[in-house]
Amino acid sequence: MAGLEEDARKARAKEGEQRPVSSIKDVDAEDYISAGTFACSGCQPVLGIKLALKALGKNTIMVNSSGCMTLTATYPFTPYKIPWVHNAIENADSTASGIFMGLKRKGLEKKTNILVYAGDGATYDIGFQALSGMFDRYENVIHVCYNNELFANTGYQRTAATPLFARTTTTPVEKKARGNLIPRKHMVKIMLAHDSPYVATACTSYPVDFMKKLQKASKIYGPKYIELLAPCIPGWVLSPEQGRKVGELSVQSGLWPLYEIEDGKFSLSMQPKMIPVKEAFKAQGRYSHLTDEEIDKIQEMVGKEWESYNKGEFWSVHEY
Amino acid sequence: MKSKKARAKKPAKVSKERLQGLRERELIDGNTACAYAVKLCRVESIPAFPITPQTELMERLADWTAKGELDAFLNVMESEHSVLSAAVGSEMTGVRTFTSTGSQGLMLMHEILPIASGTRMPIVMICGSRALSAPIALWPDHNDFLSCRDFGWLMLSAEINQELLDFICISYRVAENSRVLLPALIEMDGFVLSETREPVEIPKQEIVDKFLPPLRLEAMLDVEKPMTLGTPVLEEYQYFKEQMQAAMNNAEQELEKAFKEWKNLTGRNYDFVESVWMEDAKEAIVMIGANSTIAKAAVRKMRANGRKVGLVKLRVLRPWPEKALKAALKKCKRIAVVDQNISLGKNGIIYSEICDTFRNDGKTIANYIAGLGGKHLGIQDFEKVFEDLEKARDGEKKWLV
Repeated sequence: MAGLEEDARKARAKEGEQRPVSSIKDVDAEDYISAGTFACSGCQPVLGIKLALKALGKNTIMVNSSGCMTLTATYPFTPYKIPWVHNAIENADSTASGIFMGLKRKGLEKKTNILVYAGDGATYDIGFQALSGMFDRYENVIHVCYNNELFANTGYQRTAATPLFARTTTTPVEKKARGNLIPRKHMVKIMLAHDSPYVATACTSYPVDFMKKLQKASKIYGPKYIELLAPCIPGWVLSPEQGRKVGELSVQSGLWPLYEIEDGKFSLSMQPKMIPVKEAFKAQGRYSHLTDEEIDKIQEMVGKEWESYNKGEFWSVHEY
Repeated sequence: MKSKKARAKKPAKVSKERLQGLRERELIDGNTACAYAVKLCRVESIPAFPITPQTELMERLADWTAKGELDAFLNVMESEHSVLSAAVGSEMTGVRTFTSTGSQGLMLMHEILPIASGTRMPIVMICGSRALSAPIALWPDHNDFLSCRDFGWLMLSAEINQELLDFICISYRVAENSRVLLPALIEMDGFVLSETREPVEIPKQEIVDKFLPPLRLEAMLDVEKPMTLGTPVLEEYQYFKEQMQAAMNNAEQELEKAFKEWKNLTGRNYDFVESVWMEDAKEAIVMIGANSTIAKAAVRKMRANGRKVGLVKLRVLRPWPEKALKAALKKCKRIAVVDQNISLGKNGIIYSEICDTFRNDGKTIANYIAGLGGKHLGIQDFEKVFEDLEKARDGEKKWLV
C-alpha cells in the first residue's frame, strides 16, 4: 500500500503540482536535491534546500548566492533536479530579477517559482542593495534567507545577523573582547517596510511550518521574504547530531520567534515554551564563554521582546 | 557539403535601387543609432540604469517601449552591478538581452563582466566611453572600455554612428553563434558620438531578420529541462578558460563571415581594421574611436602635400586582429600608436598590443598619449604626430600636449 501511495506522490511531482503540506505525512516523496553533496554532516542549510524544493515542486528556478550552498553543485556533479544558477554573492536577487524579466517575456512569471536561497551575509550585508531593489520593483520572487548567523563559507565571520556576545573568528573572545557586541539588524522589519505582501520566519527544526509558509508565499504575487534559522554545525561549534535540537531550543526559548506577516497582519505561528535561554546556549560552543550576567542580559532582552510579540506589537520589538 | 556549395555560389548582390528601397537615412545621434539597432535586433529584455553619456539611449528605449513601438521589457534597476547581474539572469532564460553603461557604471559592473562571459551568455552592451574618476570628468577616453580587455568579451570600437548601429547587429549574430557564445562590448565615444547627429542608414527590418536568426541557447534555465548553471569548479578552471580562448578564435572566423554577409545585405563593407591610404604609406597612425575621423583629415591634408602617410583604425580589439593588422601594416616601417588611454606606470594600452604583434619586424613604433578626458584633438595635432614620427626612435613614448 505504501508503495502505491509513493507512486502516486511521484506522479504528482512529475506533473509539477504542489502537494499541500499540513503534516509531515503529506510531504512529497520526490526530492529535487539528491544526497551526497559537499556539505558538512548535519548541515541545516542543505536541509532547508531539500524542504524548500519539496514544498515548491518542479516548477521552480533556484538562485543561490555564493557561499557553502554553491559548493553543493561543484563541477562535474550537480545534486539539483530543478534549474539552478549561481552568479555571485551580492547579486542573487538581481539575477532573479533578470530571470523574472525573461519569464515575463515568455508569460511564465506567475506559473514559475523563482526561489532565491541566500545566506545571512548575502542578505543582511553585501546583497542588501540588490534585495531592496528587487522588492522595490515588486517582482514575483521568494527570497529565503538561510540564516546561520555568520559567514560560514569563509570560516565563521561576523555578519549583521550575528547575535549578541556570539564568538566568531572576527569577533573573538579574548582578554579585551567578549565576542560580537553589535545587536542584530532587524531584517524582517526592513523587508516589511518594503511593502512586501508576505514575510515570515521559520526554522529547519520545524519543517512543516517552513513548508506551509513557502507554499503560501508561492501563491501570493510579489516579493516574499522568509527568514530561515539554519544552525551551522562548525560555525556554532556543535556536534553534527545537535543541529536539529539546537534549532528547536532556539525557538522554544524565544530566541527565534516563528511568525508570519501577511498583508501587514502579524500572527505568531507558535507559542514557545519559554525555556531559559541558558538551555539553548548549552550545546553551542560559540557561547561557551558567557558569564551568568551576560546570559541574564540576553534573557531580559528576550523577555522584553516577547512582551511586545504577545501584544502583537511587531514594530516595537528590539532584537537581542 | 553545404559549405562547399555556399562557397561555390557567388553571393547574391543587391542592386542599388533595391537597397535604396530597403533602407532610410536619418540624421541621428549615437544613442539613437544604438536604439534603432536594439529595435531591429528584436531585443526582448533591457535592464537599465542611467549614466552620462548613454542615458538618452535608455530614455529612447523606454519611450519606444511605452509607446508600444518596441516590444521589450525595460526594467530600471537600482545600480549597474544589478543591471549586468539581471542581464545574465535574463539571458539565461533564453531571451535576447541588451544593456548599456559607461565609465563609473562599467567599473561597478566589473565583478560581473567575467561572470557574463564565463557563463557564456551572449549579452550585447554599449560602453558610452567617459574618462574615469577621479577627478570626475564628462568627456571621453578609452580607459573604461579597455579595462575590460581581459574578461572574455568581444570588443568593438566605433568611429561613427553608422558603425554603432551596424556593430550591434553584427555583435548579436557573432555572440549568439554556438561556436562563440561570448558577450560583446561596443565602445561609443561619449558626446562625440553619443550626442552628435550624423546621417545614419537604417536598414529595413527584413534585412536584419535575414541576418540575425532568433536566439537559441542550449544551456539555459528551463523547468522542463533542468540545468545547473554557474557551478564552482576545482582544478578544471583552466579547461574552461581554454574553451573561451577557442571561442575567441572561432569569433574571428564568425566575424569575418558576418562582415561579408552584412556587406551583401546592406552594401556596407567592414573589416577588423580600416586602412586609409595604406597601399604605399611609409608612416602610419594606429588608433581607435571617433578621433580617427580627425586623424583621417590630417592624413588627407598631408597626402595633398605629397607626404606618404596613412592610418589604420582598429574596429575589433577582441579577438585581437593580428592577421588583419599584419596585412594592413606590412609595408609601413614607422608606426605611431595614438592612445586615448594610459596604463599608468607603463604606456598606452594599444601600443603594448601593437608592439607584441610586430615584435622583431624591424619597425619603428612610437607611442603618443592624447585626448585623455576628451582633451580636444585637431588636425594639427595629428600632423604634429607625423612630424615627430619621422625622427622618432623605436619605443619612444610621448604625451601630446
